[in-house]
Amino acid sequence: MARYGMIIDGSKCVGCYACRVACQNLNNLREKEAYNHLEETHYGKFPDFARVFLPVQCQHCDNPPCVSVCPTGASQKRKDGVVLVEKKDCIGCKYCIAACPYNVRIIKKEGYIEKCRFCIEFVEQGGKPACMTTCMTGVRIFGDLDDPGSEIAREVAKNRIRLQQFKVTMNTQPRIFYRKA
Amino acid sequence: MATKGPLVSRRRFLQGAALSAATLSLGPQLLDIRSWAKENQDAPLSRVPTICGGCGNRCAIFAYVKNNRIWRIEGHPEANGNRGLVCTKGHGYIHDLYSPDRIKSPLKRVDGVFQPISWEQAYKEISQKINLILMLNGPQSIFWINFPQPNHTYALRLMHALGSPHYFTHGSTCYTARNAGWNYTVGKLPLNDLANSRYIMIIGRNPAGGVNLGQMAEITAARRQGAKLVVLDPRHNETAILADEWLPIKPGTDLAFLLAMIHVLIKEGLYDRDFVRNNTTGFGELAKQAINYSPEWAENICEIPAPTIIRITREMAAQKPKALIHRGYHGAFGSQYLNSFQTVRALAIANSLLGNINREGGLYFPPMPELGELQPKHPVPEGPKMQKADGTGTPGRFPLGSYGDGIAHAIPELALRDELKCGFVYHNNPLRTNPNPKRVMAGYKKLELLVVVDTVLSETAAIAHYVLPESFYLERDEAVDTRHTGKKCQITIQQQVVSPLFDTKPGTQIIIDLAQHLGVGRYFDFNLEEANRLRLKPLGVSLEELKEKGLAAVGDNWKDGFQKLATPSGKVELYSATIEKLGYPPVPLWQEPLVSPDLKDIHSFRLLHGKQAFHTHAMTANQPYLMAITERYNLLCLLMNQARGEALGLQDGDLVEMKSLVGEGKIRVKLTEGLHPSCVWLPSGYGIFSKHLKTAYDMGLSYNDFLPTLFDPTVGHVMASEIIVQVKKA
Repeated sequence: MARYGMIIDGSKCVGCYACRVACQNLNNLREKEAYNHLEETHYGKFPDFARVFLPVQCQHCDNPPCVSVCPTGASQKRKDGVVLVEKKDCIGCKYCIAACPYNVRIIKKEGYIEKCRFCIEFVEQGGKPACMTTCMTGVRIFGDLDDPGSEIAREVAKNRIRLQQFKVTMNTQPRIFYRKA
Repeated sequence: MATKGPLVSRRRFLQGAALSAATLSLGPQLLDIRSWAKENQDAPLSRVPTICGGCGNRCAIFAYVKNNRIWRIEGHPEANGNRGLVCTKGHGYIHDLYSPDRIKSPLKRVDGVFQPISWEQAYKEISQKINLILMLNGPQSIFWINFPQPNHTYALRLMHALGSPHYFTHGSTCYTARNAGWNYTVGKLPLNDLANSRYIMIIGRNPAGGVNLGQMAEITAARRQGAKLVVLDPRHNETAILADEWLPIKPGTDLAFLLAMIHVLIKEGLYDRDFVRNNTTGFGELAKQAINYSPEWAENICEIPAPTIIRITREMAAQKPKALIHRGYHGAFGSQYLNSFQTVRALAIANSLLGNINREGGLYFPPMPELGELQPKHPVPEGPKMQKADGTGTPGRFPLGSYGDGIAHAIPELALRDELKCGFVYHNNPLRTNPNPKRVMAGYKKLELLVVVDTVLSETAAIAHYVLPESFYLERDEAVDTRHTGKKCQITIQQQVVSPLFDTKPGTQIIIDLAQHLGVGRYFDFNLEEANRLRLKPLGVSLEELKEKGLAAVGDNWKDGFQKLATPSGKVELYSATIEKLGYPPVPLWQEPLVSPDLKDIHSFRLLHGKQAFHTHAMTANQPYLMAITERYNLLCLLMNQARGEALGLQDGDLVEMKSLVGEGKIRVKLTEGLHPSCVWLPSGYGIFSKHLKTAYDMGLSYNDFLPTLFDPTVGHVMASEIIVQVKKA
């Protein structure tokens, strides 16, 4: 069984939002519905200035608060690590939205909750998540953490010390690792 | 379209519907992607290679289609230009196929209101009017302007067949100063070998914002190999995010920085001596002039510290010839300033002193595929007898201007002077993309006949006498393209992915139809397919093969090493006798920008503009997926330096009033530390004033609203950053 994860190198992100629209197309989302979000931060004073874009999407936590608060079991974690919402079971109560510290869930017009699923249906057919393949600077690496030959596993083995998780103090144990600059 | 899946009944339904009703509205099943997706979950998926229509890069893509509706696109992994990638605009623009704002049939404006008209009737009326106008005013009174696509060659053919020299591109508002500078120094425009470079300096070009996917992939690869990246730009642009250093240069003074670099290269003997001895002319004259431009002198002008200029020059020289200064695009010197031509000359010369011309890791001249000709089977029209009325290439007028491009923003002036009486606008929207829209509108409205070919009612289309609807890029076959040529020669082709939704035609077909109705059909006795086959003939690639793969590698690979250039001397012209003969400085001299902000006035700024990565100028502003990004992240703002803003009592989000000689408007301001204090910066592409574009209408401002009608005295470009504005709290 695969154990999916992702590494995001925020220092490479130039804030173009291609990930957002590539994801919208692959997942048939409407224009204002997005699973990908960029947080822009500025540092310094002119002329010593820098800015950083941080791509944020569902962190596919190993200890997902959205799953534990869900009253119907619609929010669930698969064995391969992907956290998703089974829309037929979702009653749109929004507990998961309140519980998620990453603010990455959306409410669909139809009333249920949706979010990034690592394009899992597409991945199972041999594809890669749309946010990764469209990125011009290669911000994301996606793959099976348990496959020692995968790029992500090699990267984790090599640079573990440079990888950190987002809001780690909340003990959500995310499957997305951010590369420290 | 060998890779296309089976046709289904719905497709036939749509075709029928499109023919039956010109005013057909798109059904909810096509407009709402989610309900369509649900309905078509199990429909077979097909994949068709084509090229993207989202901007001028024409990236090679694969389009995925279900039940004759586009689902999504992916980049072609082999394409030099995009390396398997698709940008934000490419993803978003596919939805324009289903835009409710599309034109659904030919239109004729009657008493100010558009009415549907048949193609045949439209062609007949247009041709009758044109023939009458040309009879009374001569063949030169007609023009064609377009943003050049692969089929521009047929538009040029049409103008020549009619006997008019007046074929224009948008060039004078974009890149003509840059092209002229390169042409007069090394003979033609080079490409950047970013991937193999050890040191990349980019001046006012922003491939991460004015997206060039191939360049970004190359910069990423070079960075991985340890290459250094330096970005000079008054704004901390998106490429600067990746850079080792951002140098916030004072706008309009890049020339001073480059002259100081040349000074240091020569003074310290850091230039490539062998290259200069063997492959350049006029080094002595250059050295004599460059002595005046010390880094300390430059610091006073461009505000980059002299030690930084010296250090960067030394660092670059240490990596030569695998060090380059990006050839540039629109950005800082495409058509921006009075000194743009001199700036490009200095930039080309600084590169040459690094010995990087046609070298790996430097600048190179890609081999170009030699497409076949339509003759002798189809005769070439004789061509016009007179020069262009805009004065390009004419001594005493715009001798360094590009005759091929013409001066786009001279069209309204020529119309006001009755030198142009009728014309076609294709894949272009001068009313929004030319300076000083009131003047542009006055000019275009004076035409006795204006025909616009577009997919939506742009500002220009909205004042046309006739509008001919072009099929969306995913609905049409087009001419063979050579846009992807790099180190490996590549050809691509645009082909139909879905059948047309409305009563529209491909651009090339419209040109051929017009020619036939205008009485010059003898030069157009072919269809697109035959033309494409003739074009491909010498390359040994069949049309079928190209359509199946979407891309073919042809011809030779690029070879490293200097070769004779297309300049008069065959060498790099550090000193240009040609330029001297025309009465201009033969080696680059410092030249001030035309206008500068008033230092004593806290409200006075230079207005700069630039692209956001998710919009293609005014073309995609109306795309809801892309406009949603603008709105969600509050990106429709005027950027202003933090300290300057505070001095004006401004806070983030405050509404300000901006005024120039020709325009005024209100916009919200965003204060930033990432911008030079002397300027404000406006994202380009907004300020749509066509009421027919419902998503973008009345959103934001365009820099063109503030730019006076200017013509650079040598090249004729717009000088798009020579704008001084007064900014006050509204």
